[in-house]
Amino acid sequence: MAEAHSALWGLVEEFVVGEQDSRSAEVAAGVKDGIFTVLQVVEALGSCLANPEPRSRAKGMQLLSRVLLECYSRLTEKEVEVLVLFYENRLKDHHLITPHVLKGLMALSMCDVLPQGLAVSVLKSVFQEVHVQSLMQIDRHTVYMIITNFMKTREEELKSLGADFTYGFIQVMDGEKDPRNLLVAFHIVQDIITKNYALGPFVEELFEVTSCYFPIDFTPPPNDPHGITREHLIVGLRAVLVSTSRFAEFFLPLLIEKMDSDVQSAKLDSLQTLIACCTVYGQKDLKEFLSGLWSSIRREVFQTASEKIEAEGLAALQALSACLSRSILSPDAEDLLDSFLNSILQDCKHHLCEPDMKLVWPSAKLLQAAAGGSSRACWKVTANVLPLLLEQYNQHAQSSHRRTILEMTLGFLKLQSRWLDEEDDNGLGNLKEALCTMVFSAVTDSSTQLHQVAVRTLTVLAMQQGFLSSSDIDLVVDHLTRLILQETDSESCMAAIEASGTLAKVHPSVFISRMLPQLCANLQTEPMDINLNESRVVPERFIRQRCLEALAAVSTHQSILKETVPILLDYIGRVHNGEGETNAENVVSICRSLHRVAVQCQLDSEALQFYHEIVLPSLLSLTVQAATQDSGTSCNVLLRDDVLTAMVPVITAACTHLTPELASKSVSQVVALFLDGDVSLFSENNLPSNFQPFQVNGPTELQNHLVSLLMAFVCSLPRNVEIPHLRRLLQHLLSLSLSGCSPFAYSSASKCFAGLINKCPQGDLLDDILQVTAQRIDVGLVDEPSRTRAITLLVWVTKALVLRYHPLSGQLTNKMIGLLSDKQLGPSVANMFSLLVSDSPDIINKACHADIRIMFRQRFFTENVPKLVQGFNSANRDDKPNYLKALSHVLNALPKQVLMPELPSLLSLLLEALSCPDKVVQLSTLTCLEPLLQEAPETLKVHIDGLISKLVSLTLSPAMAVRITALKCILALTKLPLHMLLPYKQQVIRALAKPLDDKKRLVRKEAVETRCQWFLLGSPGS
Amino acid sequence: MVGGSQLENANPLIYRRAGERQVTAQEEDEDAPDRIDDREIFDLIRCINDPEHPLTLEELNVVEEIRVKVSDEESTVSVEFTPTIPHCSMATLIGLSIKVKLLRSLPERFKVDVHITPGTHASEHAVNKQLADKERVAAALENSHLLEVVNQCLSGRSSA
Amino acid sequence: MKDTLTLLSRVSAHPDSRCWFLAWNPSGTLLASCGGDRTIRIWGKDGDNWVCKSVLGEGHQRTVRKVSWSPCGNYLASASFDATTCIWMKKKEEFECITTLEGHENEVKSVAWAPSGSLLATCSRDKSVWVWEVDEEEEYECVSVLNSHTQDVKHVVWHPNQELLASASYDDSVKLYREEEDDWVCCATLEGHTSTVWSLAFDQTGEQLATCSDDKTVRIWRQLGTGEQGSKSDPNWKCVCTLTGYHTRTVYDVNWNHLTGAIATACGDDAVRIFEEDPGSDPLQPTFSLTAHMPRAHTQDVNCVTWHPKEPNLLASCSDDGEMAFWRYQKPE
Repeated sequence: MAEAHSALWGLVEEFVVGEQDSRSAEVAAGVKDGIFTVLQVVEALGSCLANPEPRSRAKGMQLLSRVLLECYSRLTEKEVEVLVLFYENRLKDHHLITPHVLKGLMALSMCDVLPQGLAVSVLKSVFQEVHVQSLMQIDRHTVYMIITNFMKTREEELKSLGADFTYGFIQVMDGEKDPRNLLVAFHIVQDIITKNYALGPFVEELFEVTSCYFPIDFTPPPNDPHGITREHLIVGLRAVLVSTSRFAEFFLPLLIEKMDSDVQSAKLDSLQTLIACCTVYGQKDLKEFLSGLWSSIRREVFQTASEKIEAEGLAALQALSACLSRSILSPDAEDLLDSFLNSILQDCKHHLCEPDMKLVWPSAKLLQAAAGGSSRACWKVTANVLPLLLEQYNQHAQSSHRRTILEMTLGFLKLQSRWLDEEDDNGLGNLKEALCTMVFSAVTDSSTQLHQVAVRTLTVLAMQQGFLSSSDIDLVVDHLTRLILQETDSESCMAAIEASGTLAKVHPSVFISRMLPQLCANLQTEPMDINLNESRVVPERFIRQRCLEALAAVSTHQSILKETVPILLDYIGRVHNGEGETNAENVVSICRSLHRVAVQCQLDSEALQFYHEIVLPSLLSLTVQAATQDSGTSCNVLLRDDVLTAMVPVITAACTHLTPELASKSVSQVVALFLDGDVSLFSENNLPSNFQPFQVNGPTELQNHLVSLLMAFVCSLPRNVEIPHLRRLLQHLLSLSLSGCSPFAYSSASKCFAGLINKCPQGDLLDDILQVTAQRIDVGLVDEPSRTRAITLLVWVTKALVLRYHPLSGQLTNKMIGLLSDKQLGPSVANMFSLLVSDSPDIINKACHADIRIMFRQRFFTENVPKLVQGFNSANRDDKPNYLKALSHVLNALPKQVLMPELPSLLSLLLEALSCPDKVVQLSTLTCLEPLLQEAPETLKVHIDGLISKLVSLTLSPAMAVRITALKCILALTKLPLHMLLPYKQQVIRALAKPLDDKKRLVRKEAVETRCQWFLLGSPGS
Repeated sequence: MVGGSQLENANPLIYRRAGERQVTAQEEDEDAPDRIDDREIFDLIRCINDPEHPLTLEELNVVEEIRVKVSDEESTVSVEFTPTIPHCSMATLIGLSIKVKLLRSLPERFKVDVHITPGTHASEHAVNKQLADKERVAAALENSHLLEVVNQCLSGRSSA
Repeated sequence: MKDTLTLLSRVSAHPDSRCWFLAWNPSGTLLASCGGDRTIRIWGKDGDNWVCKSVLGEGHQRTVRKVSWSPCGNYLASASFDATTCIWMKKKEEFECITTLEGHENEVKSVAWAPSGSLLATCSRDKSVWVWEVDEEEEYECVSVLNSHTQDVKHVVWHPNQELLASASYDDSVKLYREEEDDWVCCATLEGHTSTVWSLAFDQTGEQLATCSDDKTVRIWRQLGTGEQGSKSDPNWKCVCTLTGYHTRTVYDVNWNHLTGAIATACGDDAVRIFEEDPGSDPLQPTFSLTAHMPRAHTQDVNCVTWHPKEPNLLASCSDDGEMAFWRYQKPE
């Protein structure tokens, strides 16, 4: 014990006199370990604390406070009591000592065992003895922390101080300048208000002491280590200012004043803060200031120089309207919402009628913002405005004016429909006739510019259940049908198709009875008939296209689907039978429509089941018939590559969401069809049974092409669906991959094989088949003609395995990298790297439930980029471009975040790739560079010279895409720090004069944008 | 020249913007040259901001496609612009912005003439003469205040 | 007219900028150029090539619009948009700015040294023409501010052997000034051009003056009546010929060859043209013919043409494209 005692004295001595700073930690450790107590420390400090020299006393207090900060949680209640009294007393001491005393008090403020009443006592002493704003920033921060700590744990005690606490704090923070402290202080004020501390007579003072910072004007110093932004302070202060409606009478005049200032940021902050206020303030708080607020907002919207301010102004008006709508009306009180809206209507309504349309849009926007506040506001505004707009529509004959009026009407109707849920009667009943007359007249107007708006307006009206009569709905559908079939303006036609899609969900039967027959008739019309009809202005080819799009668009409801899908299939059937036009383009369009329908119904199980049961067998049946018919005739349209390719997504979309039951049933039928020619899938039994899609080198070779449909089906099924006869199927596919004649057949087989391998569970089957595959690829690679097939299979299998992290993937990738030096295959292998890393559009993607590990690209990158770089370095000159091309494909597919850290090591290689004459390499490298250019100024610094001259020379490349992307890169450079760019400004501007005269408009467009941006660099006003 | 806080024409007429030019198949064809046409020139200037309003020259109808004439073969461009009011003191500045935008955006072979639409401004001749004087234009662009205003007219909102 | 103007060489004089003006020193050994890059460059011949001997980059803050050599060839004056005129002294190969003349309110557009070497004239967008006197200590003193023009003054030139000064202006007129009882006065106003007069040049005798304008014409003026030195009555200048229909855009410069009498023009249509008086034409109604036309002499506006002071058929031109070009003129047979 005595030993410990003398050790303590020794440590204290060394700290105070010997100035050995680390001794305080040793003392604290001693207290923590129970070797001595805090009171013993005080005792040991005794002489020092009584020293006449304030510096020595400060040193003593510093030691004690440091110990307390380490050990406050171990103190007993008694110790705390003694220490608090001691510390309070020390506050009266010399100012040199105060910072250390405050540190100690902060430690004590964190003690759970602080006896009742002492918190108040500490605060009283601090308020009384310390002039906070004359302290250093860090010490002021300590005071705020003491207060914060007490507010957290001693709320009741502090509240017993009444308004004195608030007043004390006001004095503490008055004059605070440091952003770090302000953030804490704002938080304290917010707590004072929201936790209902007594404000007493000090509401205005509390407002003054905080609102003097509004609006926040703060720019963080460069390289600020604290990371406090202007935004932090704005949010902190705003929380204070909007925390109580008791501030309203002081704050609203200030807000109006700041809104009227010339400083854009002040306007913006004021408007945003006003919006926040509206959630807290009530009618009576706003009452006096409504006219001032309104005129400021109106001015901003009418005259603002910035869209951002206009948007905030409108949002503020909506917030005001919502706030006024919220208050409960007492019978005798004035309805402020009503009078507020009246003044808005008074100021804006007449602008809507001015024949020359002055300020028409700003006024409409203001009225719509006000109407957006509540259903009551909406009702009031629309009841006033809509009759006026209807009247105006009739008074203006010019189409452009009418269009504007109609667009405004549409805006108000949309608002109406938004509030419809809350109010059954939409209040438009008496306007219905007039509205219908206006819209129906607009949709038939001779000027097409009205049609598009009219269609959108009709949609809004017809979406309101029960508003339009059934005969009106019939008329709407008839108009839409007419626009789809006859409209010359393609945008209006697209709008009509879109509207049909929306409305078909609500009124399916009307569409079935009125629109479908017309579309159907138009699809079935023979070209000859159409030529006789001279009045038609839209070419027949477009009409057919539009009908198909419309059929797809309206197929949003299963009842319509059951009508439309057979129409589409029937059309394909007629093509197959040689009736109608045997035009591949039409069949491709139909497949696109069928695909769209499939996507729309994926989530509707009934529709999906119907789709699956009808579409899948029909397509297979038609194509199998086509493929098994006498092959002497010319190739059937349905077997063309492009047609089959268009069918793939139709089947895929129908299968990805199948239930396991449905899927299992179909999969066995489909596999049986392909493996054994078993046609039980089809209901009609007139099919020949000579379907042998895996047979190579025979008269049935065209049947090979149908493997693409097998692929669409089996590769898109959920992973838990078991594929029957998988081994046999895989073997057939493998054979076809390596021996098929047409590229379409063998690449479909390779893809199908890869799609199945990707999902195939781990196990013997997979191991066996992969072993065989690897051998056969090796054999295939030896000689033509099988090399191209082998490489196709290799890339697809590699992809399938890379995605699922299969151990064999590394070996296969190495094989591909090795082939980059192959004289004959090198260039095409290089291109295939793009296929390896990019998303596959048809199969082996997420939608098809492929086994894709997250971050597979990153992993591929990490494992293979070093190999590619090394391969590049050691390759001979002719082969180098292959490595660069492969590399740029890999980099191009990577997310920017992954690429950034690697950029320094890769940049010089990328620059070399830019000099490679291969335009694919150039384009791919440029595309990869563009998003990175503005991100890494430090890395680019050393290369900027070479980079700029290479990019500039690529703006004259023979390939248009290269020129465009090079210009985009030069544009991206403008985001770099100015000092890096200015030395090159004149040179770049001069060099970009040439692409301004490019023969291609798209290049000129980029050149203009890029050059104009470079002109602005370092120039005033930019 | 600017800086007066009072707007001369506080309530201008606002016109609808033309849509983005649709890209045609020919424009995507590597080999087919696309001539510089009136619409292309119009697209260069329609998004210039008015110095006073938060609106583009197109929205104020100060520039219109029919008042743009270009001959790619002869390397000449002529643009007429229509000030919103006949006494608009911003006319020279607007004209200067149009001229600068065209000088920065067109191949150097082009001769660019910018005029006021005949009969639409009180000082038509004086403004036209100033805009045609390349020495004055060059000197104006070395004046950082003027350059600032011009750059603001040219940078502002995106063209979309 | 075939091959009457042959390109000798082309030099990128002010890259990334425009070249505004060229001036030969009196002996023709050096050529000074100035431009939008704020510099003046001095060019000399090295074998067959024109090479840059020095760059005077520190004197001006803005475009250097024109330069003028003193008759002794030891001084160069430069006029700039920065409202100042600098006087440079030649010290062997180097040039040093010895004085900066301030006083104009804004852009100085032209400067010209009188044949005596003791007078200097400047003009500016501030509508004024200033005459400066140089004493032996190389002190420059403004002796007169002439406010006769109502608009910018674009160019000033001195009579080749009299103290007669001519100025061209944005107000479409040309004015002549002479000293009268210790003060400078405007003694004649030449009206006829319908737009800005950009430049003007005296012939070798000083009896004729050629002016060029934004109205796409060149006019020839002749001094009639008693133009004798010391005469009290003002000389009477009359337009005796208008060359119209040749230029398709603004004519920016005109230069009269003092050795051969050929007139060269610089035009905004990128062309350089040469005109010669028809043999035997009436001096009071002279006729001129276009003897050479180089349509794409430069890729952009031609700003200046200037004949070599000693070699009769050597012409230099410069352009907005930043280049200067040297031409050999062969009079057609």
